[in-house]
Amino acid sequence: MERTPELAPNEVISRFDNGELENTLSYHELNAMINLWNSEGKMQLDKDKMAVHKYFLDHVNLNTVFFHSLRERLDYLVEHDYYEPDVLAKYSFDFLEKINEFAYSKKFRFETFLGAFKFYTSYTLKTFDGTRYLERFEDRVVMVAIALADGDEDFALHLVEEMISGRFQPATPTFLNCGKKQRGELVSCFLLRIEDNMESISRSINSSLQLSKRGGGVALSLSNIRESGAPIKKIEGQSSGIIPVMKLLEDSFSYANQLGARQGAGAVYLNAHHPDILKFLDTKRENADEKIRIKSLSIGVVVPDITLELARENEDMYLFSPYDVENVYGIPFGDISVTEKYQEMVDDPRIKKTKIKARVLFERIAELQFESGYPYIMYEDTVNNANPIKGRINMSNLCSEILQVNTPTTYNEDLSYNVIGKDISCNLGSLNIAKAMDGGNLADTVETSIRALTAVSEMSDIQSVRSIADGNAKTHAIGLGQMNLHGYLAREHIHYGSEVALDFTNMYFYTVVYHCIRASNLLATEKKESFDGFEDSKYASGEFFTKYTDQEWAPKTEKVAELFAKAGIEIPTQEDWKKLSELVQKNGLYNQNLQAVPPTGSISYINNSTSSIHPVASKIEIRKEGKLGRVYYPAPYLSDETSEYYEDAYEIGPDKIIDTYAEATQHVDQGLSLTLFFKDTATTRDVNRAQIYAWRKGIKTIYYIRIRQLALAGTEVDECVSCML
Amino acid sequence: MNTKLAITRPVNWNKIEDAIDLDVWNRLTSNFWLPEKVPLSNDIQSWETLKPHEQLLTMRVFTGLTLLDTIQGTVGAAALLPDAITPHEEAVITNIAFMESVHAKSYSSVFSTLCSTDEIEQAFRWSEENPYLQKKADIVLGYYRGDDPLKRKVASTLLESFLFYSGFYLPMYWSSRAKLTNTADLIRLIIRDEAIHGYYIGYKFQQTYNQESQARKDEIKQYAYDLLLELYENEIKYTADLYDELGLTPDVKKFLHYNANKALMNLGFDALFPKDDCEVSAAILSALSPNADENHDFFSGSGSSYVMGKHESTTDDDWDF
Repeated sequence: MERTPELAPNEVISRFDNGELENTLSYHELNAMINLWNSEGKMQLDKDKMAVHKYFLDHVNLNTVFFHSLRERLDYLVEHDYYEPDVLAKYSFDFLEKINEFAYSKKFRFETFLGAFKFYTSYTLKTFDGTRYLERFEDRVVMVAIALADGDEDFALHLVEEMISGRFQPATPTFLNCGKKQRGELVSCFLLRIEDNMESISRSINSSLQLSKRGGGVALSLSNIRESGAPIKKIEGQSSGIIPVMKLLEDSFSYANQLGARQGAGAVYLNAHHPDILKFLDTKRENADEKIRIKSLSIGVVVPDITLELARENEDMYLFSPYDVENVYGIPFGDISVTEKYQEMVDDPRIKKTKIKARVLFERIAELQFESGYPYIMYEDTVNNANPIKGRINMSNLCSEILQVNTPTTYNEDLSYNVIGKDISCNLGSLNIAKAMDGGNLADTVETSIRALTAVSEMSDIQSVRSIADGNAKTHAIGLGQMNLHGYLAREHIHYGSEVALDFTNMYFYTVVYHCIRASNLLATEKKESFDGFEDSKYASGEFFTKYTDQEWAPKTEKVAELFAKAGIEIPTQEDWKKLSELVQKNGLYNQNLQAVPPTGSISYINNSTSSIHPVASKIEIRKEGKLGRVYYPAPYLSDETSEYYEDAYEIGPDKIIDTYAEATQHVDQGLSLTLFFKDTATTRDVNRAQIYAWRKGIKTIYYIRIRQLALAGTEVDECVSCML
Repeated sequence: MNTKLAITRPVNWNKIEDAIDLDVWNRLTSNFWLPEKVPLSNDIQSWETLKPHEQLLTMRVFTGLTLLDTIQGTVGAAALLPDAITPHEEAVITNIAFMESVHAKSYSSVFSTLCSTDEIEQAFRWSEENPYLQKKADIVLGYYRGDDPLKRKVASTLLESFLFYSGFYLPMYWSSRAKLTNTADLIRLIIRDEAIHGYYIGYKFQQTYNQESQARKDEIKQYAYDLLLELYENEIKYTADLYDELGLTPDVKKFLHYNANKALMNLGFDALFPKDDCEVSAAILSALSPNADENHDFFSGSGSSYVMGKHESTTDDDWDF
């Protein structure tokens, strides 16, 4: 072929026809091409489809173990300790054949290269030497379904239907582990209190190791621990505070990982009025000393309303010694409402205090968010005011969406338990909003999902951390999440954050919360059991329901009314809520907590969704993860028609994201991981303003701050789509 | 001369003579980073999956890069200082020099995390004995010691925008195959810096160059192409020496062409290599993007996209609720 030097390099590539291109390029290269323009300056979305095809031809098919029949396959996998025989033994072979055929009849295909690559790299069952695949997507779905259904054939079929259609996607630990003989736990997420004594600190390190080993992330509250320089046994100046505890925890998490499948991960939360708060934040400084620098441990700050009010007045804020506070009140610092007791504590001479400028704290937080993305923020009073359960919420988790009450554990001298308190675990799964709407039966989709998550809770019993095992057995707390909001909106030609989009978000979450409670009430009725403490909850008193029974919730825009009508999904009425309220007061609720909206990383790629209810970070997302390297992910339903509805998160800006989350938050009992996106022209003041706006709108937690910096003009790579979009 | 002017004038950042100085200064300072920020130890498992010859190649590539950054940090950037036109340019160049030393130290962080002391010493010995690497260093050092400011800038730009890339190829290659991804993050931070350095020195070169007589322009231009070719010839041998065993040499060469053209572009000259010879594998090209727009999973790495914040205090209006 004659070649002329005037052509741009990408034109040369596009001159090949597609067949030739598939022959000459690897799937990684084909995938990377969606990040480059073609000769007409258009996105090359077809190249990603070719990458999927090529990935199966060149890699998956060649490396998948072949079996002649289902029986041969299952026998082999059980005999060689890959599958758990007890899971299969609950079903007849005829049924296993039926459910297998049912799954394969749905003709599942991966929509993106990243989805397929992620599934085969991180989820599917592999031979013990890690070289060959033993499952396809359908096989994994069937195993998850029959493991969770525990012998209930009808439920198992329902679950396959919900998962293979993409409507319901269990969180990573559940989807990864179900049915495997060598596996970690099915639960994603743990939250532990630490009390102000050495027994509790060392137990929490032990528990962190045990829980990391079993998968998922662990968050710990440091608020109760006495500050550096506090007395030990009344001798002043002895305690070294929270930083050394953070170091110990960080090392524990790097040591433990779940059979190498997931990196151990941890977070620590601290109350803004803890005396070590500035030291805590400085651990994330770019130029922090190695001794105090925290690299891989996530940090979060618990912010009460009083802190914002003091900042508004531009006043000092007092920091209180947890040691003294516990001595004076007889309860740990973390369990005190600082807002309520602030003046009292300021006036109490028995409590040692220091002061800083309240605005300085917020500026410091914003500076660090620029540098490191941390800390997370939890608005303590917003969270507790919205909490229908008796008790106090003093921390969140690694993704800042779990918000549940806890109680302390105490130990005997020989380190055995004296009183086992309640710590928190939460198993998660998410609905794909677009698919759930398409399905037309949101009631059934939500109910099946709630039942599946409840099954995970019932199958989990983590004896190595008794406070977690007990908490789970008493509460059956679960968290149903949502993803693909932006994908759905773009497909329906609605701009993210527009009036219609906000109206949709409100009505969707309004409908979902109704069905969550309905399903949990059904479970309580069937099992004749409610969660521990139901009688003291606002569900039992009926107080929770008044916001739904005293006013009408209906679509404000025609478009949203149409979308629900077109999908055949009924929006619950005030009458429906009154009936449900009565049923709940009569028969109770099985789950203490029902919803939590996680950030959905990996599972949204497999599920071809946009993450959570965020806007996309980019039309073509550059994804980097430890196990994957750089992979390019096109937004779902991206085409020339939907392109304009895919403004990215940095263009959309924080206000519209906060507005969207505020609509959803009012219907979610726990939290929602909310990331804020800023261009690099933003200053700490812009970040502070967004934090204030979020608090005013009733947002419960803020997750990461992401900053996008574009290449300096003149230094960018030619032809790169993500440079220009 | 310039040298004198620069010393006798205190640098006044409130009076900017060339807006690019301030732009680049702001960009460089907001990009400031230290290797400790990247959790390199997360790559240990992945490192152990590399075959022995792949590990050896990786170590050699990194010692080569260390040498170049050492030159640039201690001799290269310092050699450009006397030629500075504005006092702000001097400030920018000192920043460049410092970051080059940070880069040189970064490679040591990679070594100390992934390899044993013995292996590290062997790799460094290799770098001291490899003829092509030593020649590369000699050529560049020779021109830095020369007395023509424009020629020094040419040498520096070629180093920043061209010579590093035979080494950068490998971590990008590994990362596109899901290996050593945190190391790749670190290299991407270095590339992010080098892209700006090359651009800036090239820009300053053009400022002076454009005011020269035609004869002088011709001389410099000829010199730039000659030097590039001299370096290129050596670079090809160096590349073959390193990459032949993995069969990557042809692709690395295309990458060299691509970056050679990029270096010439920074100097304001026409591309030398036809575009067809620059078809770098798309996976490498995309991985190279200096934009900080990557969406990473915070739990497995720190990513290469954070910047130092711009501080601005809130006012009472902001707190009006």
